[in-house]
Amino acid sequence: MLAQLDDRLGDRLVVPAEPMGDTIELVVRTADLTAVMRTLRDDGDLRFELLADICGVDTGMTMQVVYHLWSPLSADWVRVIADGLSRDDPRVPSITQLWPGAEWGEREAYDMFGIEFEGNRDLRRIYMPPDYLAFPLRKDFAMPDDASRGPGEGIRNMETPVAPADVREQPVIRTSAGAGAVLGADGRLLSVAAGVVADDALESGEQPA
Amino acid sequence: MSSDREQVRSLDDLQIMVQTPGTIYDAIPPLTPRTEREAEFYQLEDGEMFLNLGPQHPSTHGVLRVVMKIDGERIVDIDPVLGYLHRGVEKICEHGDWHHAISNTDPLEYAASMFSESLPVLAAERLLDLEVPRRADYIRVLAWELNRISSHALFIGWLALDLGGITPILYGFGERDEIVEMLAALTGQKLLFNYMRIGGVNGDLNHEFLSRLGDWMGRAGARINDQATLMNENEIFVNRTKGLGVIDREMALRLSMSGPPLRATGVPYDVRRAHPYSVYPELEFDVPTRSDGDSYARYLLHIDEIKQSIRIIDQVLHEMPDGPVMAKLPRLLRIPPARAFAALESPRGQYAAYAVSDGSDQPFRFRIHDPSFFNLQAVGPLSKGQVLADIMAIMASLDPIMGGIDK
Repeated sequence: MLAQLDDRLGDRLVVPAEPMGDTIELVVRTADLTAVMRTLRDDGDLRFELLADICGVDTGMTMQVVYHLWSPLSADWVRVIADGLSRDDPRVPSITQLWPGAEWGEREAYDMFGIEFEGNRDLRRIYMPPDYLAFPLRKDFAMPDDASRGPGEGIRNMETPVAPADVREQPVIRTSAGAGAVLGADGRLLSVAAGVVADDALESGEQPA
Repeated sequence: MSSDREQVRSLDDLQIMVQTPGTIYDAIPPLTPRTEREAEFYQLEDGEMFLNLGPQHPSTHGVLRVVMKIDGERIVDIDPVLGYLHRGVEKICEHGDWHHAISNTDPLEYAASMFSESLPVLAAERLLDLEVPRRADYIRVLAWELNRISSHALFIGWLALDLGGITPILYGFGERDEIVEMLAALTGQKLLFNYMRIGGVNGDLNHEFLSRLGDWMGRAGARINDQATLMNENEIFVNRTKGLGVIDREMALRLSMSGPPLRATGVPYDVRRAHPYSVYPELEFDVPTRSDGDSYARYLLHIDEIKQSIRIIDQVLHEMPDGPVMAKLPRLLRIPPARAFAALESPRGQYAAYAVSDGSDQPFRFRIHDPSFFNLQAVGPLSKGQVLADIMAIMASLDPIMGGIDK
């Protein structure tokens, strides 16, 4: 199967097809996505006819859309990663022409990451209310309650407003600072800064303002 | 949705100021249509009207709202509205460590939570390339198959209930009760078991579980046949499900369906065979399929699957090895950077997770693929042109669980 995939898609892949356990990973550019998916589905030797999953991923630097496909001819899944979407304006062609069942999956990725699927006829929010503005699964979306943070990070009042828009422009780095910590370029804490009780303040028994 | 819209009093609660005065029960949203499809749906032709179903309606099996465009009794189009149970489980999982993910995914598939809680477990084991003790694998298969039977028994009763028959659900709950008592003896909980662990299971088999299991196994096959006869030979049930909600092979594949609705169209896609996990490759069982693709075929398929599950349980009990039930793992589990796709066959279809680790003790991204979400999508194409009363039989035969759909 690996040889056939390389033969059919070789020139469209960013890196050569790579087997990982029982999954073969293909990385493509968004411009080639529709053609690659069509070949995978319709080629008589490939027949990846079932879309096993579709999801968005925010790596912190770029956005990805990840597809998993199943074929009756192959013992492996195929994972197609449409890589390199910009975080400011993520756009990718819709595959609802090939799999009408991708419609809700694309709506979910739009709802959670703000990824625009060009050609999807029904791209509105699916879980969040229609007047909601943020995209919750982005790495720069801070969860505004204590439950989301480790016990070592102090206490924050649930009512303290946290505006994801404040930190949206900043690069996201995962550090030892803990879950959901968003650091700016200078290493300063951004997303958990509002109302956080610093460790030394806790020890001295001071109340936050 | 401009944010500078003037604030008005909400019709739901006059104390609250909102941007749009409409309530969630407005059939036509008081907003300009956001998409091509929404504009098309909310445009009424001559003689058509909107009817709202849910969000709190017993036949929607959870908190699902469906806006229906009807012409007399016939359904022209439907627009399901999701999100009433949305908790953001994927985001919560990113903020706890890998062990927390087990109890966070537990309530997703609340009728068969042994499956949804296994997702982070299988994903983490695949990322770590971890070998699970054989006894733990056998115990897992035992728990999964018992849970599958209890879920299927409930499905059969529920399908009949949605068509107006009371008796089968009493049998279905009778079956489920026995299995739930059994699993409660094993896990300590009746609904959300929280039994799977990364590297094994939480606790070995005990005497009460085994005696209840032995008691039940003696009668299981005969009782399934009883329940099947009760419905297979019921003329009203057969007439109302046969030839209803027909979906063909091509369409089912294009709609990303899985589980019994897909196998009822003749596609033998069962993750236990297509991408074997745990000890399923060593066990003998068939993947039953049907070719009609209607509600009746989906119902018959559930009966076939219960029989196969009993067959698996029988083999597991005979071949159960001795040994430990947990692998030795550090308590703080740091998983090296990698990505993996793990799937398992739940009673409703392919439950899958795409997990990305960045080397910390928390998942970097934990995508949960719920089969009910993709199966429910088929309600739109399936119900076009059907009468209003039959949409319940179609929806119930797809067996959606809203906890997983809304995540």
